[in-house]
Amino acid sequence: MKITNLAIANIKHNKSATTSLFILIFLASMLLNLGITIITQMNTFYDDKVTKLRDAHASVVIDQANYDEKFDQYFSAYDGVSEVAVEQTLIMNSALFQYAGSDMSHGLTFLNMKTESLIAPLALIEQLDTVQENDIYLPYILKTSGGYQLGDTFSINYKDNNYTYRIAAFFESTMLGTNNMGLMKVYLTDSTYNILSQKLGGKESANLLSVILDDPSEAATLLADFKRDFPQLQTGEFNGYYWDSDINMVKTASSMTVNIIAMILVAFAAIIVLVSLIVIKFRVSMSIEDGMVNIGILQALGYTSNQIIASIIIQFLSITCIASILGVLSSYLANPLLGEVISSLTGLVWHASFNGLINILSVVLISLLVFVVTLFSTIRIKKMAVVASLRGGIHTHNFRKNFIPLDKTRGSIHLLLASKTLLANIKQNIMLVIIVIAITFASVFSIVLYYNIAKEKQAFIHMVGSETSNVIVISNYNEDELVQKLEGIERVEKVTILDVILTDIDGQSFYTQLSNDYSKLNNNTVYKGRAPQYDNEIALSWSVSQLLAKDIGDMVTVTAGQQSHSYLITGLSQSINYMGEFAAITLAGIEKHIPKYKPSTFHIYSDGVDNSKVIAAIQQSYGYTLDDIIDVDETLESQTGMYSSVVFLIMLIILITTMLVVILILYLVIKTIITKRKKEFGILKGIGYTTLQLMNQIAWSFVPIVIIGVVIGGLLGSLYTNKMLALLLSSVGIRSVNFIINYPVIIIFCVMITLLAYAVSMLIARKIKHISAYELITE
Amino acid sequence: MQSVVLSTKMLCKTFSNQGLQQHVLKNLNMDLYKGDFTIIMGSSGSGKSTLLYALSGMDKPTLGEIQFEGKEISKLSHDQLAVFRRNHCGFVFQQMHLLDNMNVLDNILTSGLLVKQDKKKIVQLAKELLQRVGLLEVSWNKYPSQLSGGEAQRVGIVRALINSPKIVFADEPTGALNSASSDSVLDIMTMVNDSGQSIVMVTHDVKTALRGNRIIYLRDGTICGDLRLDSYDAKDNQGRSEKLKAFLTEMGW
Repeated sequence: MKITNLAIANIKHNKSATTSLFILIFLASMLLNLGITIITQMNTFYDDKVTKLRDAHASVVIDQANYDEKFDQYFSAYDGVSEVAVEQTLIMNSALFQYAGSDMSHGLTFLNMKTESLIAPLALIEQLDTVQENDIYLPYILKTSGGYQLGDTFSINYKDNNYTYRIAAFFESTMLGTNNMGLMKVYLTDSTYNILSQKLGGKESANLLSVILDDPSEAATLLADFKRDFPQLQTGEFNGYYWDSDINMVKTASSMTVNIIAMILVAFAAIIVLVSLIVIKFRVSMSIEDGMVNIGILQALGYTSNQIIASIIIQFLSITCIASILGVLSSYLANPLLGEVISSLTGLVWHASFNGLINILSVVLISLLVFVVTLFSTIRIKKMAVVASLRGGIHTHNFRKNFIPLDKTRGSIHLLLASKTLLANIKQNIMLVIIVIAITFASVFSIVLYYNIAKEKQAFIHMVGSETSNVIVISNYNEDELVQKLEGIERVEKVTILDVILTDIDGQSFYTQLSNDYSKLNNNTVYKGRAPQYDNEIALSWSVSQLLAKDIGDMVTVTAGQQSHSYLITGLSQSINYMGEFAAITLAGIEKHIPKYKPSTFHIYSDGVDNSKVIAAIQQSYGYTLDDIIDVDETLESQTGMYSSVVFLIMLIILITTMLVVILILYLVIKTIITKRKKEFGILKGIGYTTLQLMNQIAWSFVPIVIIGVVIGGLLGSLYTNKMLALLLSSVGIRSVNFIINYPVIIIFCVMITLLAYAVSMLIARKIKHISAYELITE
Repeated sequence: MQSVVLSTKMLCKTFSNQGLQQHVLKNLNMDLYKGDFTIIMGSSGSGKSTLLYALSGMDKPTLGEIQFEGKEISKLSHDQLAVFRRNHCGFVFQQMHLLDNMNVLDNILTSGLLVKQDKKKIVQLAKELLQRVGLLEVSWNKYPSQLSGGEAQRVGIVRALINSPKIVFADEPTGALNSASSDSVLDIMTMVNDSGQSIVMVTHDVKTALRGNRIIYLRDGTICGDLRLDSYDAKDNQGRSEKLKAFLTEMGW
């Protein structure tokens, strides 16, 4: 009880320090709990959604002309498959529609609402009360990320025909519900479906095969086996429509960004926790120093050093417990915002559930750290003799080096006095430097992230694995003739082939890129070694090389089209696409396996002219005999748009917290300094120093610290952001990140932090303004 | 005819404490003259220190005027008063109030460099003054906690004199010193006054008061006695001493 009273008295005596510490711990526990909640719930969230929605674990869409009943028989007979469903659908492999303010060219599969499917039945989130003839039901992501609302018009342009619908409802779906798998499903009323079917004229009719497995993780193997057993679906002679996807790939693609955000939040929370711990260390040391005589009195009265230590620990631990519990609870207030972010990235409704265990873990983790730091900071009380404490610890007083003798050092007296203060408080300044380094690093990290994901997107797009050409033509024309013709179009600089097929490499299935010339690609995904040049060379992604335990210079056997050949590994590559598991061989290479292989994806690079002009020129030459023409810039813009707002939010959280931390820390330190040096300031005022001069002295004694901190933090941020990102993304196959480091923006930010620190220091130091010299000396 | 350095008109100072008002100085009118060694005496709570800090611009009066060489200073802001103090005043405190994080020389230069721009000259002056008050060079790099009370007070005096002030204020400068140190400090103060320096000193020690040539006696915030004495003479003070004792007896000391 006595110890508790001591702790309460200390808290009451240091109200402002308590408040600032409270805010720091509150912020840290809020961010930590938010991050851990997302990371832990995201995994089960997605799986639970798949189960709840009865979504397919594997889906295949094949055009009607190429469909064979053997396919669904194959799936039904496959070991581990529990359910198979086949639905008729209409396919627009490249429908053009507005998405988040930009044109998006994306595959759409139209389902008839009348057809009731047992797999992935329609799960509406919201709908209009009335029904109209031209109603369309869209995936929820078109609302959360695409910007559509109920009742809006949804216009599709397909092969120069416009199709206009009224949005009557939004539904939830994992498989076929997002815009990052190349195909999205939409529903039409029976009559509207039939009208569209007639308009499209049968060529776009297809079948959607949906499969549920006992073990969803087997979905990728099932699809690989299916393609191996029906090789005609991807030989050069196949000129129909084929699309497939497994649930794990969809889950990875959808939840990757959310997980990265969560990791950033946790990392930033860790920084704030670190800052809080450093501040606690500082506060404890200061309170021991200031309260040395009081400690001596308590010792003289008979308190043991353990009791005194316990009172200090209770003081800080009680603040921590209350702040972290409130922080954890407040993290639930951020749930609606968090739900919006997750919904915009996954197209699924997120309701974070109350997870007591995680909440307790967050509180206990922070409290434990605070306990350890406080214990280590107070341990010196044990060694203090009562007499020494009563004398204010004079035995520990050492006559420090006079760093800046005023008689020998040049410069203004104010600057010299500020420098003296700076050098006399090395421990405190080291603490400040570490804090400023940490928060500057976090801020620079978030700035680089925002700049590369929301502003100059090239590096981000390359990291994802997309090729930054201008226009893509999908066609099964003779490739030599087509390339020659496309290259002949005015303002087209080059044309490259870049296809993807599934091959077996040393017995395991991997997506494999094919190109006639990798050197022509803008996005060189090979980060070590080189891309394949000859028909016996292959580049493996880092993840594949790990799975196969192969490195550059080793040989692998590639099987495709029922033929196997040996390949020399020439390079290691990276991409987020295909969960980081892919390979690359040359077109000449694949022709050894499939002699009649016909490439279908042609990337066109213009000289910077508007893409629409290139597309118009292509259409003029070919009409609509080509399967598809895609405006790459527009597509990438619409696909990356959703990341921009999310990353902006993250950057905003980090920058605001950084500023708050700078303000809090300076407040805490300067407040302590003013209290501690009250007499000194009184003497200086007495001999004629003005308030402004003293304020400047205080502020200037911090500016070099902040400058050192921001310079080191800025440099570390500039040098290690890419490495840190590579570490964060290593789980999705990224080994090397080359985000642009925008130095002017970073320098401006560092200058702003320094100015903020100066302004805040001046503002806090104003506290001495209204105290007269007489009061300061005599107090 | 001596010229007036400081004068007060109807000077009042009131302190408020939890609604209770305490009138410490009441309508004080006085003139302080150039070259005088003025002693302010009075019993505890008579307002001696309050008057000293008001005169020196350390604290602001509640009412009334304080004029320094004819210019009113009582209405100046805190910062203007700071400039006034640095340019015209020197202070010697009972508790010395040296900056404990600085050595002797830096303590003095912190004040000296605030006003004078020629660093060489001010450093030279500081060293001369330190020698004059008998502080050996070996002590110049010491920190306040390494000095004896007498040595620290001598540093305080040098700091007060470094800017060649028009007037030096001393608040019981020997109050915390032993007898030998007190004598030494008072000798220095006398020597400084002999060179023409105006000094205003608060004390309740008769021996210290004997150093002055003018004694102002305060009671309950008002001046109830003002005595003129001849200048201090270390060899013959009998007459001065008796005159002071009679004055103090009359004042009820």
